Amino acid sequence: MRVLIVGNGIAGGEVAFGLRRAGSGAEITILSAETTPEYDPCSLPYYLGGEVPRERVFRRRWEDYRTAGIRLETGEKAVAIDPASRCVRTASGREHPYDRLVLAHGGSLFVPPIAGIDKRGVHGCKQLPDADRLDRHRGSRAVVIGSGAIGIEAAEALKKRGYAVTVIEVMDWILPALFDPETAGRLKRRLERCGIAALTGEKVLRIEGTEAVAAVVTDRRTIPCDTVVLATGVVPGVELARTAGIDVGRGIRVNERLETSLPGIYACGDCVETVDACTGEDAMFQLKHNALEQARVVTRNLLGASASYPGAWAFARAHFFDTHAVTFGKTTRATQCELGDLEIVEREAGDDYLRVIVKEGVIVGGQAIGRFADAAGLLIGAMWRRESVPALRARRALLGDGPHGTLAWTTRRLGELLGLAG
Amino acid sequence: MAERREIRVIAERCTGCRRCEIACSMGHCGMPTPERSRIRVLRLPPEGGHVPVLCQACEDAPCLKVCPMNARVRAETGAVITEAEACIGCRACLYICPYGAPAVAPEDGKTVTCDRCADLPGAPWCVAACRDCGALEAVRPGEAPRRACRDAAAALRPVLRPAGSRRCGS
Repeated sequence: MRVLIVGNGIAGGEVAFGLRRAGSGAEITILSAETTPEYDPCSLPYYLGGEVPRERVFRRRWEDYRTAGIRLETGEKAVAIDPASRCVRTASGREHPYDRLVLAHGGSLFVPPIAGIDKRGVHGCKQLPDADRLDRHRGSRAVVIGSGAIGIEAAEALKKRGYAVTVIEVMDWILPALFDPETAGRLKRRLERCGIAALTGEKVLRIEGTEAVAAVVTDRRTIPCDTVVLATGVVPGVELARTAGIDVGRGIRVNERLETSLPGIYACGDCVETVDACTGEDAMFQLKHNALEQARVVTRNLLGASASYPGAWAFARAHFFDTHAVTFGKTTRATQCELGDLEIVEREAGDDYLRVIVKEGVIVGGQAIGRFADAAGLLIGAMWRRESVPALRARRALLGDGPHGTLAWTTRRLGELLGLAG
Repeated sequence: MAERREIRVIAERCTGCRRCEIACSMGHCGMPTPERSRIRVLRLPPEGGHVPVLCQACEDAPCLKVCPMNARVRAETGAVITEAEACIGCRACLYICPYGAPAVAPEDGKTVTCDRCADLPGAPWCVAACRDCGALEAVRPGEAPRRACRDAAAALRPVLRPAGSRRCGS
């Protein structure tokens, strides 16, 4: 059997090496548009910030592919799939036949339609070549457009490199997809305490400069700078699938076995549209742990098993300097257009903050900063198990918090965390 | 290679003396500093007991998947440990952990978890320190749930078959 994998990211690599680990004798080929062995995009900000050497970002070495007998075709960007002849064509014009095809080419940086975005000094921060270019770039004043997880991490890295950094966010609070305004406001203050300016509710109009970047003009001010980092989000790569006649929505549509609308073609990773494992709603959480879990399901199905994918988990952390925050499940904003009673549990102690979103008696999401974040795992577990908060409250009232033998310690800790009457 | 082992926690026996923390930090860092311990005694308020918390080395460990530096790795001994050179101290492993088990080293912010004292031929440091209370027990992998079931059944025996009552089937 010939297995062809498009993309050498987290998902693609996991499928290839997962097949070999399971003892598959299939002929495995990975088509990579890039020129390096597999690396971890999550590691890039730390390489850029000088916290780890460049070689630490790699998840595999060249010899890993040789020993595992996996053919890695670098610089081969897949441009077309011909499902009839079971063949993938690359930009160089070569054709790669397959029996089973795995689409794991991820997504690409969303480039906003801003005038001057092609000027010298404008960088992405998604792939290793982006980080390498930023590493070579010499500048002193940087503007980061977008304040998602990548934007904040890039801002911290640049600050550590000695840049004066300004983050611009078009929404009214930073990390808008991950945190509620209440939590994000606290994070913004901490970001500013670290010397990074964060401008929210501000729109970038154009990037000025003759050849190189000289300033960023927003709807409120002009910020002189010599470096611009785009952290404006990732769009799933669907063109390759769409042109082949594969069903696509926001991402590539798959069934619970992660097979696309064309039999024998699977998809996993950032290019896939999937469901939230907790709610069953459509979701696009482009996160590493989901890519890994999806890749493992695809691997098992390629091996002939019938594995189904339960859905993706929303879990992310935000970390800059000595600030640590975590978010899981839905934000308040994401629950606002739904029916059902909403209860927000908030706790605050000094700089630390906890916010748990309870809908119809079940935890649906939460955010925490500092000490409260250390117990996030308990809350995430309760969310995954759909544990009833009123039932927990009743059990605590009935059984009390006496010594062992009444309630499991995790339950008691959870009750304490949520401030339920004991 | 040392024999694979697990550490079973019998929380009912824990008195909260924290000798395990001292022993662990002594064993791993040569200093009696509970903040550096890989096992942590959690005190449950208001008056309700103590629980020693340590990495369970989950079979499908979530920390392995969320670490941005791939610093969480499964050692040959079955333990899940942090490679200190790779860890950047982001605490993702701590936040995803269902027990909140990873400890954050005070000096560099990196996480550390129980390695089952893999290099130690005898009992792990914490288990040795807990000999009086017996809240910690070194067992073979898979043995912990079996022992827990047996102990629970033994505790129920006097309730189900009070002393002086006739034996079942006799």
